[in-house]
Amino acid sequence: MALVELCNLESQVNVYPFQKQNELAEPEANMNLVNPMQLALPPLGNPISFMKQFSHTESGKPIKFDFQHGTTTLGFVFQGGVILAVDSRATGGQYIGSQYMKKIVEINDYMLGTLAGGAADCVYWDRVLSKQCRIYELRNRERISVAAASKLMANMIYSYKGMGLSMGMMLAGYDKRGPSLYYIDSEGTRTQGKVFSVGSGSVYAYGVLDSGYKWDLTDEEAYELGRSSIMYATHRDAYSGGIIRVYHIKADGWKHISNQDASDLFYDRKVQNI
Amino acid sequence: MSILAYNGGAVVAMKGKNCVAIASDKRFGIQAQTLSVNFEKVFEMSPHLYVGLPGLATDTQTVHQRLKFRQNLYELKEGRRMSPKAFSAMLSNLLYERRFGPYFVEPIVAGLDQNYEPYINAMDLIGCITQPDDFVVSGTCASQLYGMCEVLWEPNLEPDDLFETISQALVNACDRDAVSGWGAVVHIIEKDKVTIKHVKTRMD
Amino acid sequence: MSNERYSFSLTTFSPSGKLVQIEYALAAVAAGAPSVGIKAKNGVVLATENKQKSMLYEEQSIFKVETVTDHIGMVYSGMGPDYRLLVKKARKMAQEYYRTYEEPIPTAQLVQRVALVMQEYTQSGGVRPFGVSLLICGWDSGRPYLFQCDPSGAYFAWKATAMGRNYINGKTFLEKRYSDDLELDDAVHTAILTLKEGFEGQMTAENIEVGICDENGFHRLSVSTVRDHLANIP
Repeated sequence: MALVELCNLESQVNVYPFQKQNELAEPEANMNLVNPMQLALPPLGNPISFMKQFSHTESGKPIKFDFQHGTTTLGFVFQGGVILAVDSRATGGQYIGSQYMKKIVEINDYMLGTLAGGAADCVYWDRVLSKQCRIYELRNRERISVAAASKLMANMIYSYKGMGLSMGMMLAGYDKRGPSLYYIDSEGTRTQGKVFSVGSGSVYAYGVLDSGYKWDLTDEEAYELGRSSIMYATHRDAYSGGIIRVYHIKADGWKHISNQDASDLFYDRKVQNI
Repeated sequence: MSILAYNGGAVVAMKGKNCVAIASDKRFGIQAQTLSVNFEKVFEMSPHLYVGLPGLATDTQTVHQRLKFRQNLYELKEGRRMSPKAFSAMLSNLLYERRFGPYFVEPIVAGLDQNYEPYINAMDLIGCITQPDDFVVSGTCASQLYGMCEVLWEPNLEPDDLFETISQALVNACDRDAVSGWGAVVHIIEKDKVTIKHVKTRMD
Repeated sequence: MSNERYSFSLTTFSPSGKLVQIEYALAAVAAGAPSVGIKAKNGVVLATENKQKSMLYEEQSIFKVETVTDHIGMVYSGMGPDYRLLVKKARKMAQEYYRTYEEPIPTAQLVQRVALVMQEYTQSGGVRPFGVSLLICGWDSGRPYLFQCDPSGAYFAWKATAMGRNYINGKTFLEKRYSDDLELDDAVHTAILTLKEGFEGQMTAENIEVGICDENGFHRLSVSTVRDHLANIP
């Protein structure tokens, strides 16, 4: 090790295993089994610039690291609470890997998260968030606010910025301040809003959603708006489809409203040749 | 992403007993965006001769037009119909002319020859012909189609059974491909009739 | 004299509406060695005179009856060098057709395309018409074909015909002898007889050429086969 210091090798290469790399790590922990924030990093000084080396081939062609799998998700706040609606298709390139993905994650009884982007990233960090929220509840004897939870999530993700995480999620819940909805992504964005749609099909969903949205929607109208927005998005967007799942969050927590086949819905509406 | 998959689409053809079937999906899109659900990729070239041209949509149309041009000249010059074999050779030739700047289509030819024997073949985008004696597939879900056909196809299917087989193969293959589907059309070619049926598929 | 003013440029009509160079080409054909073609039920025969001017000449080395492709053959009356150019072009056209369509060129197609070349030589600058008429025979779609192609680019389908020196007598002879249910062997016989009409000197297996085309394709008959045929002729 003396030689290492003599040569000033530390500034060039990280010669130590996990412990020294990650400031967030607890001293005695070295696996994410103990601390979910502690992921194995590339064995070099600066992981961000290290990852950049692998984002392009030798000939300069970008490598598909940003595996954005297609999705349509939406959420909106209205008089009756928050609605979330999502599709269920999982694609790997053109190939449809599954038509039955669950893209809404139940974080606790009062909070839901949607996933878009890298499936593994979304599921993993939602699970971590779920744990953090529970710990918060135990420590403080009250439920975490959506604002706090979303910030927790945003901060965790932000510490990995530039290292290839790919996620665009919505966090919806009901806390003492009432219904609320946040958008968070792997770039570090975190914003509160009334109406969001995320994923490759979001542009189509917005088209329907924006024209039909008003605060005073009844519950049934709201479900229907969410459903048909997703339905039209799955029709236009090749990477969205399968089942349309609708959730409703009210003061007493979230409730699953419906699971409907997008294509059946399309034929039911008899919207052909549009 | 491959330019061949820019617009999406699939074609399949099968031999039956004294009949052939050729089917295509009806989607026309630009990458993920579906623009039309009535874009057929199979064309009737003469009463017993059909060609499917999945691939880049602009080339689907151009190749179809140039094929028809050459076929018309042939038929006027020689005063007879083109055999599927001659037609395929001509198409192969047309494609190889553009060896170093190809049309992005992978054609399938299906029909009945002079003796009303079933004829099918498939080509790559620069005109290499393969001529198996069961079925041919092409397009963005070619691998899925292979899987379906391998399982469903059997020799000497009657026209009705052939229709069922090819429809199931195409519909289920498209259900595992993001850029194919949105409706399908099947042509069953027999000696004295051609049946065209439109098949419902998932619209997402 | 006034006639000569229109006789050099191919592309200029004479006041009477003729292209005189073409007529001269036909005259060259009519002065050439005679050739005969006859269609039979099961094939076609081409025959021509191939007399050598000197006994020093090496026989069986240069032929007048040529194969174009497996199932098509041809012969000519008129100028040999012009003929060989057309044979070369015809063979190339047949192969090009096969390359594009992967099926053998129909005889009618080959004739049409050869005739097109001959026509071009009546309308282009800096060239002269071919000094030959061709007899092209073939077998396709299960039946025989026989065509004649003239320097003008005109072409005709015949049951039987004669060209070259004495062709009028030859045709008159054929009109008398032809029948629709001729067998190929009979047709060979008739063809040789037609050549014999007005043949100067002794006809031998060496100074005539015969080609036949049937469902097995086209080929020139060997000297011994021709000799056998000649033996059957009184």
